[in-house]
Amino acid sequence: MVRMSKALLQKAGPLGKTLTEILVCPLSKQPLRYCEETNSLISDAIGVSFPIKNGIPSLVPTDGKILEEEDTSKPEDTANSSARYDENRGRNS
Amino acid sequence: MRALSFFRRSPLRRSRRNEPFGTFSFASFCSDNADAPQGSRLKIFDRQLKRKQRDRAAWLMRQKDSLLDTVAENLLDRLEDCKKTFPTALCLGGSLEAIRRSLHGCGSIEKLIMMDASHEMVQLCKNAEEESPNDNIETTFVVGDEEFLPVKESSVDLVISCLGLHWTNDLPGAMIQAKLALKPDGLFLAAILGGETLKELRIACTVAQMEREGGISPRVSPLAQVRDAGNLLTRAGFTLPGVDVDEYTVKYESALDLIEHLRAMGETNALLQRNNILKRDTALATAAIYDSMFAAEDGSVPATFQVIYMTGWREHPSQQKAKRRGSATISFQDIQKQFGSQS
Repeated sequence: MVRMSKALLQKAGPLGKTLTEILVCPLSKQPLRYCEETNSLISDAIGVSFPIKNGIPSLVPTDGKILEEEDTSKPEDTANSSARYDENRGRNS
Repeated sequence: MRALSFFRRSPLRRSRRNEPFGTFSFASFCSDNADAPQGSRLKIFDRQLKRKQRDRAAWLMRQKDSLLDTVAENLLDRLEDCKKTFPTALCLGGSLEAIRRSLHGCGSIEKLIMMDASHEMVQLCKNAEEESPNDNIETTFVVGDEEFLPVKESSVDLVISCLGLHWTNDLPGAMIQAKLALKPDGLFLAAILGGETLKELRIACTVAQMEREGGISPRVSPLAQVRDAGNLLTRAGFTLPGVDVDEYTVKYESALDLIEHLRAMGETNALLQRNNILKRDTALATAAIYDSMFAAEDGSVPATFQVIYMTGWREHPSQQKAKRRGSATISFQDIQKQFGSQS
């Protein structure tokens, strides 16, 4: 599981290496995590997801959606993604 | 070495046009916001509206806009004066596309990150980049707000902002965030519109509104004065600050063309306290007054755009700085004895 989420982070989704290295959450300035399922960038520090439209991440605070705890663990594979979520949290904190 | 320097005043030559500022609105903002809970967070501009205006501007924008191109070239010209190279550059909102097409390898930029609050504007740049890519520059795009800069601390060598920062509510805050995003010895380059901008339009609006409506409402936004620019740089903590001013006069066929150009640049009124209704006869009266007060002999109407260029560096031990007070070993009187007779 650890390897898997590392791979996710390194692949960094549709954003290039440059953006992955440089972008942070606009509000907390904490690292962002790419979520493949929803194609969004998630700031775990404040629990907000920022959409990626057409390969362009949108990090304007008003575009962010507040994540409910349940949302982070989708019903289809609850165990899987919530574990990943916890791990990322651990890493970031 | 880092001789970007300053205090030149080159009175216009070219023509373009620009945007609004309205001094008369300030007093009312202060009192209206005094009891707002955020305290120092004075809200002057409607940032959401500005985003929409810039979305629209992305569609209206001309392929070549001589005013924007001149400002972008003037700004980037400063990079040529530095020996330092800037591998990673962040370009903030404003005339993004003008900066991109004027780059021509200035400052040996390898990675360019373009950011604007308007998705359409960023998309426009992305499309333009795909059509005519800048050689050897890896360009990436982000939608972001200058007031909430989503950039990691100490991660870029250069921050450029071309005609965007005058729409921020918290200009010092935005500049501080830009400074934090810079690596030590990184350069901050910005062009903002100054208080002389669109003075003709401001006068015409005021006269027309007084005449037709018996009162005035802010039509042109408050803009920074030249002296404020230096203070802003110092307050944001930039070292070796430099400020210089350029004035451009753009000639239009009529005042309505001026408004069209402002729209295409996304520089129309976005004051929170604006009057949402513009009566047709007030608008026409404004155009007529503009024409009668300022028209040149050939029938064109001029509009002034004052651009303030700011440069500042993030501090670094290698930079020159003043010696400690009292550390001098030679008296000024001796210096005067040595050189004074020549003057």
